[in-house]
Amino acid sequence: MSFWEYLNTRHQQLLTDAFQHVSAVFQCMVIATVLGVVIGVLSYRSGWGGSLAITSTATILTIPSLAAIGLLIPLVGLGVAPTVITLTLYGLLPIVRNSIVGLRGVDPSLVDAATGIGMSRIARLCRVELPLAWPPILTGIRVSTQMLMGIAAIAAYASGPGLGNEIFRGIASLGSANAINQVLAGTLGIVVLALLFDAAYVLLGRLTIPRGIRA
Amino acid sequence: MSPSHQARSGKEPSPTRPPGEHDVKGHAFHDEESDPSPAPAAPARRITWRKLVVLPVVLVVVLALTYVWITNVHLDSIAKNSLTGGNVQLRWWQHVRLTAISTFWVLIIAIPLGIALTRRRLRRAAPAFTALANIGQATPAIGLLALLVIWLGIGPRTAIIGIVIYAVLPVLSNTVAGLRAIDPNMIEAARGMGMSGRGVLLRVELPLAIPLILAGVRTALVLNVGTATLATFGGGGGLGDLITSGIQTQRMPVLIIGSVLTVVLALLVDWLASLAELALTPRGLEER
Repeated sequence: MSFWEYLNTRHQQLLTDAFQHVSAVFQCMVIATVLGVVIGVLSYRSGWGGSLAITSTATILTIPSLAAIGLLIPLVGLGVAPTVITLTLYGLLPIVRNSIVGLRGVDPSLVDAATGIGMSRIARLCRVELPLAWPPILTGIRVSTQMLMGIAAIAAYASGPGLGNEIFRGIASLGSANAINQVLAGTLGIVVLALLFDAAYVLLGRLTIPRGIRA
Repeated sequence: MSPSHQARSGKEPSPTRPPGEHDVKGHAFHDEESDPSPAPAAPARRITWRKLVVLPVVLVVVLALTYVWITNVHLDSIAKNSLTGGNVQLRWWQHVRLTAISTFWVLIIAIPLGIALTRRRLRRAAPAFTALANIGQATPAIGLLALLVIWLGIGPRTAIIGIVIYAVLPVLSNTVAGLRAIDPNMIEAARGMGMSGRGVLLRVELPLAIPLILAGVRTALVLNVGTATLATFGGGGGLGDLITSGIQTQRMPVLIIGSVLTVVLALLVDWLASLAELALTPRGLEER
């Protein structure tokens, strides 16, 4: 069966897998973004807290994802739970790091000016600091998403959802005529989805980065 | 106080004053020379004891706890099969070997290629490589490895090729970015002194790029330890074998031993690389 025939006959299955892949990564990215920005906001003002947050998230990233999944299985079982926890944990790092770096990089005179016109701490954060720190945070989100697309593929080994299942089906049937089609469909599908995500982030950046600081 | 001033005042340092001090019309003066210049600040130690001790201690404690747990837990014949007879040591060394060999090839390929891409003749090819690197980032490691296995057959060689391909692009783009970030004034200055292109590369650009190359080594090592866990899907061995057989046979002890050892190895490798980074960076390039 040629690759195109394979795509034609299995498109239902492939679309389901692709949808689940995107939805798992997207949902975990939303959780990771919220958590990451909150951690960044809470820790960027203290030198100690900031470096603790960066070091601990960097340590998590050093751990191979298969080992992290392996350690979670005895605790939460197979399936969706280890996938979601792993994806969220790994997605955190670039976002935490970039929000701390971004928030610290805001010109202090602008924050002073905001205080000077009577803004409260919350207003300063929401209307001055976070909008200015948004471009690096968005970069962190992009980097995270690219990484999670690959980790989600590995999570399929622990019965997680998504296109990784296609790849593992191919590996399990090595030598059979369909093995290469399955692996190719899974891999290319993930590449295409990752590039689509990236394009969506470029668009999101256009829409959300304040005009005054656009490069 | 200059000697001429001292001569004009016409007074020798009186014996009652400590050396280096003398009086002029009843006022005490210090010789400038005799003031001890402030001792140069002791260079800050780059490798602090905390950095040296904390992580190894944590890892040893984790390993000891795991060891105590595994010797007390009941193992059935399947779990025993996977954990005895030197199998764990074998997988550990396979993993170390996969990581070391692939890192070696990544550096051999990526750093010279990075240098070549910043030379004038090849500079135009660089954007193509950046685009390739972006797509490479989006490719899942497991998919790449599976395709290679179908193409080249199973075995450690296939695994190493996959690991190398996966790590070359990030290290390459790091090297290119670092060489590009070198202040062009420095290169101009070196050129102005009459250095040849080779001289500029060997005596200005490369020394300035050392921190970056070391960072590339670290990135490659950490990435490769991770990708090497996937080698098991291509028959390449390594600690991933313990993790996958633990999942397949549903033997949690095997799974946990494999995962814990992988985590320990990854953190250990990152720690060693960070020490090397600190020790090998030229002092002149340290951030102050």
